[in-house]
Amino acid sequence: MTYTNPSPQTGPAQPSPPPNEPPIVSIRDLQKIFPVPGGETVALKDANLSIQRGEFISLIGPSGCGKTTLLRLMADLEQPTGGGLLIAGRPADEARRERQYGYVFQAPALMEWRTVLKNVLLPLEVMNVPGDRLARAREMLKLVGLEKFERNYPWQLSGGMQQRVSIARALAFDPPLLFMDEPFGALDEITREHLNLELLRLWRETGKTVIFVTHSIPEAVFLSTRVVVMTARPGRIEGVVDINLPHPRSDDTREDPRFFTLATEIRELLKKGHA
Amino acid sequence: MTALRPSRAAGLGPMLIVALIAAALYWPLMLAANVGPAGRTLASGAELECRTALACASQLRNPVVPAPAQLAQGFMRLSTPVTSPLALPYNVGVTAGETLLGLLLATVTGIGLALLLVASRAFERATLPWLVASQTVPVVAIAPMLAVLLGQYGVQGFLPKAIIAAYIAFFPIAVGMSRGLRSADPLHLDLMRTYHASSAQTYRLLRFPASLPHLFTALKVAVTSALVGSIVAEISTISFSGLGKMLAENSRASDTVALWVIMGYGAVLGVTLVALVNALERWVTPWSRR
Ligand SMILES: Nc1ncnc2c1ncn2[C@@H]1O[C@H](COP(=O)(O)OP(=O)(O)OP(=O)(O)O)[C@@H](O)[C@H]1O
Ligand SMILES: [Mg+2]
Repeated sequence: MTYTNPSPQTGPAQPSPPPNEPPIVSIRDLQKIFPVPGGETVALKDANLSIQRGEFISLIGPSGCGKTTLLRLMADLEQPTGGGLLIAGRPADEARRERQYGYVFQAPALMEWRTVLKNVLLPLEVMNVPGDRLARAREMLKLVGLEKFERNYPWQLSGGMQQRVSIARALAFDPPLLFMDEPFGALDEITREHLNLELLRLWRETGKTVIFVTHSIPEAVFLSTRVVVMTARPGRIEGVVDINLPHPRSDDTREDPRFFTLATEIRELLKKGHA
Repeated sequence: MTALRPSRAAGLGPMLIVALIAAALYWPLMLAANVGPAGRTLASGAELECRTALACASQLRNPVVPAPAQLAQGFMRLSTPVTSPLALPYNVGVTAGETLLGLLLATVTGIGLALLLVASRAFERATLPWLVASQTVPVVAIAPMLAVLLGQYGVQGFLPKAIIAAYIAFFPIAVGMSRGLRSADPLHLDLMRTYHASSAQTYRLLRFPASLPHLFTALKVAVTSALVGSIVAEISTISFSGLGKMLAENSRASDTVALWVIMGYGAVLGVTLVALVNALERWVTPWSRR
């Protein structure tokens, strides 16, 4: 696998996966062009990326660089106009039909006619998941700290609380792969750090693969095994930075000198694309 | 939700003010409307207990606008005995029944049509112009023909009126519902797609609940249309009961007091039916902020 712009490698971040296992996400020369009135938008150009099972990947880049587009392509919500991709070794539509991933959208997208609990129950109902669905949904709500709000309707919750419900909903059916589009963008710093830790714990305990969009460099460094830096017009992958910080991560991680080096490296890559 | 109650109660204030103004204006307007005919009646030398046109204005036998006392008398005369098939309560019940049955028929057809319209563009292109055309034929014109036609098949009395009511009420429901079924948030549709939900699940769990606000807006329009439809049907076909039958009878007899009383009953029935739809809406959509 070749990157458009390989970044300096600093060493393995996580215990590396068994060498022969196929990547859970494999993207080759991926391209997405949207027709717009009087022309076209190149939302994504020549993207190459390979993600191993169990990785935590952050996508970072300026607004409009194609982060959401990349997630939607992987989720089979958009069709590529060039190149190809495999999810869990299968075409994206097959992976979607096998319910390989949970998707947290950039907006909470809760159904206003369902209570908080019923929103979390939705995927379990649709997929006819066996077992005690109610207990499962409650467990997920507890995870995001909203167990006291299960009877409320979404409009009675703040934006950040709604986003946490949508995270609980995506986790409810226990998919091996998680796509998260700026899930913590609307949260205050303290809640955000708390949920960062919760997400990391969940990731380590369940071995899920997470692909996470963020605008925050420290958040990307704190969470990820690798950070994919993207630039706009046309949207492309500028470089990939390995985050070789030890696990489990904690508040001390933020004090690690390597933390600052990595943050600077990402900032430089972002600037380079901006020029 | 309770926090929103006061604003609903506050909404009654302005309404009451309008009611008070209307009540205060009623007497002078009534006199003004009747004084002309009263003068003419006096001039014709009819035997009357009053001397001046103004005094006679509140005592005419068939007033343009009845005086409150005349209205009260008319109300008692037409409302009793309460259970009599000749009195208004029974006839209001008949019209209400026709309207509600008509609305039910209209809702079933309207929703069915909406499902077809949304499912198939071809069906929409082929039928929508005809549905629109069906609504341009005046009910008054179509009612007698439909009554005769249905009579051929032994459908008589109550049912033809309900069908005529449904004929004009299904259209707003079909239009509102098809718009509602298309109103689902694209992000919600994406979400269902990530769950690999079946089309039936997407309808049941997403499109249908998303359509409810549109459906109820349509129902509020439809219920008043259905009321008009059933009254018009009663007037323009052979009928033995209902508000329309009483209107026709009393207008032939020029009993204006009775016409006013029937009108009052009709208005109350209309308001009640809309209130019923509103109550149903609150019951079916408890998540709504209103
Ligand atoms: N459906 C669409 N039709 C046309 N253009 C689109 C569509 N979706 C995205 N684009 C364009 O593709 C580009 C990338 O959009 P995308 O939503 O992927 O950006 P993003 O990186 O997620 O930005 P943000 O950080 O603001 O969410 C933008 O220029 C956008 O205008
Ligand atoms: Mg985006």
